Amino acid sequence: MELNAGAGGNGSHKTASERDEVAALESLQFTDEIRRLMSAPGGDNASSFTALLELPAPQAVQLIQSPDSAKLIAAPAPAPAPNVDDFRGSFQFPFNCGLIDRAARFSVFAGDGNINGNNKSNSPEPTSYNSSASLQKPVKNEPAETESSQPLVSDPTVENRSIKRKDREKVKGSSKKSKTSAKESSEDAEKLPYVHVRARRGQATDSHSLAERARREKINARMKLLQDLVPGCSKISGTALVLDEIINHVQSLQRQVEFLSMRLAAVNPRIDFNLDSVFTAESGSLMDSNFSGMVIPMMWPEVQLNGNRQQYPQQLHLDAFQQPVSGREEVCNSYLTPENSLLSYDSSGNSASLHSNQLKMEL
Amino acid sequence: MRPCDSLKREFLKKWMMGLQSCSSSNKDMSILERKEAIKLSADVAMACARNGATCWSRALIAAGAHSKHGAPREYSNKRIRSKKILKRSCRIRIRRRKRSKCSAQVGRASSISKGLVRQRTRILKSLIPGGESMDEASLVEETLDYITYLRAQVDGMRSLVDASELDR
Repeated sequence: MELNAGAGGNGSHKTASERDEVAALESLQFTDEIRRLMSAPGGDNASSFTALLELPAPQAVQLIQSPDSAKLIAAPAPAPAPNVDDFRGSFQFPFNCGLIDRAARFSVFAGDGNINGNNKSNSPEPTSYNSSASLQKPVKNEPAETESSQPLVSDPTVENRSIKRKDREKVKGSSKKSKTSAKESSEDAEKLPYVHVRARRGQATDSHSLAERARREKINARMKLLQDLVPGCSKISGTALVLDEIINHVQSLQRQVEFLSMRLAAVNPRIDFNLDSVFTAESGSLMDSNFSGMVIPMMWPEVQLNGNRQQYPQQLHLDAFQQPVSGREEVCNSYLTPENSLLSYDSSGNSASLHSNQLKMEL
Repeated sequence: MRPCDSLKREFLKKWMMGLQSCSSSNKDMSILERKEAIKLSADVAMACARNGATCWSRALIAAGAHSKHGAPREYSNKRIRSKKILKRSCRIRIRRRKRSKCSAQVGRASSISKGLVRQRTRILKSLIPGGESMDEASLVEETLDYITYLRAQVDGMRSLVDASELDR
């Protein structure tokens, strides 16, 4: 009784606030749904449900939690538009699925005869943008009271619509709802494989700009990585200057490669890189050693020896390989040229000097 | 970011193999040719170390193959050319659309900065091997990759040069 009176009394108020909301958010569909609901012979629950839609979140929460909802229904709903905007900013994606489920469950729970009618009319309703925000809080707290064993009437459709609703959360009352929902209705409700781009205030929200914005953000993320990689780029702000630095860096690296190759070409014109046998043997030791510096002493003496004496290197290889190898590193060290400075590459240089002396003797 | 040792080792190993194979007839080559041979082998080694997973490595390998045969270069050129034509047509269409849409204010800062960015992107594309036929996002990725590999290459070459000079 009380509720009905409250509902009736609030009917006009609801329509007023509802009209405001509709005017603010441009959703005619919502108006029709609301009107249909209000005129439905459903009782308290239906009207309270629709009332929930108008009320801002905190009041709606109280509404749910308190058993006598009539008093709270009577509370005037301030302009829902700003609250909706706030919700939009803080809206979370995984939040939404559960909300839709609970919205469906709530409508199921709300009544019997009207349920189906309400459910059918409510399920397209949640897809409309206006109800989503205000439905968040009330529907969230609702499972605390409803039995979760309530089977969902239209679970997969609700899931699909939850996807649509998510998209509409992003889209600020755009006219391309059908396009985006068609795009996304094929996606899974649990995990959408594409990136979520939240529409910020004052930004265009059609699918083209959304995709462009996602692309932009991807590019910017990669540019950040580049900035970290290139020294001296992290302080610079602005894409053009960062690109400048990157170009300079790449150019300098390429020039270094050229100079170094020129130096190598000039160093030893008679170098004969005959490293066949060495490589097959060294590939194993290469994996063992931890320092790339060790590779150089390994290979360089080979290069030099091959350049100067053709026959000795082979003997040396065989000797070196046939030596009883306590550790791989010693084998590597045995290849060392007499230059002791090369030993600085090694970590275990103690036995190296001994081997270099042996090499000297052999040479 | 220092290139990791495994990367350097890979590169050096492959490079030595390449050097050996391409400089076996080294005696008669002039110094410039030797330098080119060394550089080429280093580049190809670097690209192979990447296992052709990136665009630039494939382009490098193709360029390396070109120095010996002519066929791969033609193929890559054709692909590049067709992609260029496609991009040019798309660009013209987009430009027409934009011109009809937005106002012709030349002095806008955003358009100037966009032009600068576009110019720099073009330069970067010319620097990265195989960068012509890539869109912006993949270009940035390739640059990241390429820089790390270039660093490893430079380090490897430098250590070899140092080792060779220490020998004196």
